[in-house]
Amino acid sequence: MILVDGITLLCNDLEVDPQDIIMLVISWHMNASTMCEYSKMEFLRGLQELSVDTVEKFRDKISYIRSELNDEKKFHDIYNFAFSWAKEKGQKSMALDTAIGMWRLLFAEKKCPLLDHWCQFLQTRHNKAISRDTWSQLLEFFNKVDTGLENYDAEGAWPYLIDEFVEYLNENGINHSKME
Amino acid sequence: MSNQKKRIFQIEAFQNRVVVDPKYAEKTWKILEHAIHEIYNHNASGLSFEELYRNAYNMVLHKFGEKLYSGLVTTMTAHLKEISKSIEAAQGNLFLEELNRKWNDHNKALQMIRDILMYMDRTYIPDTHKTPVHELGLNLWRDNIIHSGKIQSRLLSTLLELVHRERTGEVIDRGLMRNIVKMLMDLGSSVYQEDFEKPFLEVSAEFYRGESQKFIECYDCGDYLKKAEIRLNEEIERVTHYLDAKSEGKITNVVEKEMIANHMMRLVHMENSGLVNMLLNDKHGDLGRMYNLSRRVPNGLAMIRDVMTSHLRETGKQLVTDAESLKDPVEYVQRLLDEKEKYDGIISLAFSNDKTFQNALNSSFEYFINLNSRSPEFISLFVDDKLRKGLKGVSEEDVEIILDKVMMIFRYLQEKDVFEKYYKQHLAKRLLSGKTVSDDAERSLIVNLKTACGYQYTSKLEGMFTDMKTSQDTTQGFCSSHPELTDGPTLVVQVLTTGSWPTQPSITCHLPFEMSALCEKFRSYYLGTHTGRRLSWQTNMGTADIKAIFGKGQKHELNVSTYQMCVLMLFNNADRLCYKEIEQGTAIPASHLKRCLQSMACVKGKNVLRKEPMSKDIGEDDSFFVNEKFASKFYKVKVGTVVAQKESEPEKQETRQRVEEDRKPQIEAAIVRIMKSRKVLDHNNIIAEVTKQLQSRFLANPTEIKKRIESLIEREFLERDNSDRKMYRYLA
Repeated sequence: MILVDGITLLCNDLEVDPQDIIMLVISWHMNASTMCEYSKMEFLRGLQELSVDTVEKFRDKISYIRSELNDEKKFHDIYNFAFSWAKEKGQKSMALDTAIGMWRLLFAEKKCPLLDHWCQFLQTRHNKAISRDTWSQLLEFFNKVDTGLENYDAEGAWPYLIDEFVEYLNENGINHSKME
Repeated sequence: MSNQKKRIFQIEAFQNRVVVDPKYAEKTWKILEHAIHEIYNHNASGLSFEELYRNAYNMVLHKFGEKLYSGLVTTMTAHLKEISKSIEAAQGNLFLEELNRKWNDHNKALQMIRDILMYMDRTYIPDTHKTPVHELGLNLWRDNIIHSGKIQSRLLSTLLELVHRERTGEVIDRGLMRNIVKMLMDLGSSVYQEDFEKPFLEVSAEFYRGESQKFIECYDCGDYLKKAEIRLNEEIERVTHYLDAKSEGKITNVVEKEMIANHMMRLVHMENSGLVNMLLNDKHGDLGRMYNLSRRVPNGLAMIRDVMTSHLRETGKQLVTDAESLKDPVEYVQRLLDEKEKYDGIISLAFSNDKTFQNALNSSFEYFINLNSRSPEFISLFVDDKLRKGLKGVSEEDVEIILDKVMMIFRYLQEKDVFEKYYKQHLAKRLLSGKTVSDDAERSLIVNLKTACGYQYTSKLEGMFTDMKTSQDTTQGFCSSHPELTDGPTLVVQVLTTGSWPTQPSITCHLPFEMSALCEKFRSYYLGTHTGRRLSWQTNMGTADIKAIFGKGQKHELNVSTYQMCVLMLFNNADRLCYKEIEQGTAIPASHLKRCLQSMACVKGKNVLRKEPMSKDIGEDDSFFVNEKFASKFYKVKVGTVVAQKESEPEKQETRQRVEEDRKPQIEAAIVRIMKSRKVLDHNNIIAEVTKQLQSRFLANPTEIKKRIESLIEREFLERDNSDRKMYRYLA
């Protein structure tokens, strides 16, 4: 098993920050079951998928790996993968802090004006763990619904938490994306 | 004997042609013309029918049909012109009579003429497609008399004048009217319609327009409707007496439009006499009339129904939010029952049990009863009151009637599960304190609930009754197997199955020695026959009867709660006890203890204890003594009963919370049931199906259903479909 120390070494060799989102993508390739741990099988599987067998080749692949985040389908998979990976082993839901951290990481490059409101909403109103369904539906929500919330459908089978979020936005008058 | 030669007869054709006398036609016609004159001059008796018929026959036969026919037309026309003049000359009232008389004459004449000319009618006329004699006679009458310039308008205005007079109360010659009108009808339906009916309807419309305007200003709603009804009936009667039956619908439409439809709004909403006023005052007669008249008018019934509905909803809303009646649940429910009865009466007596009105009533009641979330609790309290004392001495049938009425109100509740919770609580108290007026009434109500809500609703309630019965047997068994205990205190035990009875936190206290020993004996007896069960004493629900002797030797039997008994028994061993000592000695929780002491020391007539200081509230430093001076008129004194009461705010919140908690598994069960059979279903349909399934118990909240779905997704009973996020799939 490669644990935290080993991973730090790996990051040094690759010249990436351990907090860099690229580590998530690499873990995804490996299909790692939990963060900060790679089993031998997972490690080898990942390298095979990336077709690298030396550190240099790995380093060269970094920009490609980073670009994978821009592919919509891959991002979708990576995003959903992140849930099982980042949550505590053996738990069904993800702790709120972890979730917020992950979201910030994942959506850092994407244009997501509602993200801050979402995190604030959770911290003030919800304060509990995040379920898998909420996690996966959030991506759909950000993709499908405009910032102005004009096409938000109340009957749209969104998770209850997201409905509450919309209410929260309406209450605080944050749903106007038009110029005043 | 002659020797005559045989002669053969020969028949020879005529050798000379028969020449018809050229003047023959003229001569024959003259005969007939003369006859017609005579007929019109009422001199027909001198004529020979046979001869005239033959003449006419011959004319036609010899091809003079044309002459005959045109001669007929000319002659008849001339006569009619004469007649016309005489009718025109008639003065005033005699006009119609003259017209009528002449018409009868004409018909008689026509009849005879037709008979005479029958051959022509049957041969020449069909062949030449000319108008048959009878019809010809009518047409000529029409053209020369009815449509003659001087007669046409005079006829119409006379008729209309007469109708108008009759409407204003005069008596007219209806027979004459009938004949004239029949004449018009005989002349053809277009004559009747153009020359009479159309103008008649127009004039009538104007008349009723004016009259209704007048009436609406000076009559109130009820009286106006009476007037309208009278007018309507008058017109119908008029038609039967002297108009064409087909006119009935048309004239009634006119009246309905002018007198009712045009003023409907104003009538219904008339202040102090309109629909609302009638409803408030149960004016069945007026309401019935309004119903019948509105039925005749497009959207009339809909309008009344809407006004009734909104009035009822408003009244109902006030009923359920009125602060006064909210203080007394029994009063609250009684008012609802009264209101229902009132409207049932109105609908059956005045609205002829119209189903649409019945439905409006039901939806209104359902609407406002559920506006107040305490309705289920109050209804249960009402029933409780009835079953405790209200139904004492009431006959079995009357009991049924009252319970049926309550059941009707019950059906309007949307939150039937809340009612169930309260009902269970109240029933428990009734059963345990033995305070039911009639066992049959209780059972009957349970049966009614079962019919309304299904067997599951009542299975636990029935369990409670079973427990009571079984406990009776058990107690008996206990007493008979321990004959040595007959000298000591008598123990009556009710063994309650936990699942059936409302859950209470079980708080035990220290029982006095005599009792605890007895209780232990019972426990061993029971567990001896029922192994594997656990018994826990519910000391907060029991009662006791104690014999007490006070300072001056007054003897009383006190009926107290178990807690009160524990407190009192302490005074057998001490004259004075302070609050803390009592608390320690009995281990009764503080709030209950305070209530208990208060009921024994601070209530007039029940103050078996004396307290120092004499304040109303129980303080932790108070001291208690037996009240040696206790006095009561009665030997048996009831000190504190466990009566069902309207809940306090915190209690209500608690119950409501428990109900909400209970609903969650029910919703989940419904979701799972539905998904199991459908396998895949979209969001909106699940919500609809679940709501429908749970409808008989409570109104499911879509948000709550959504939360349950998410919970089930979390627990991997369901999943979202990969391509359509609004679809859910059942995971086996």
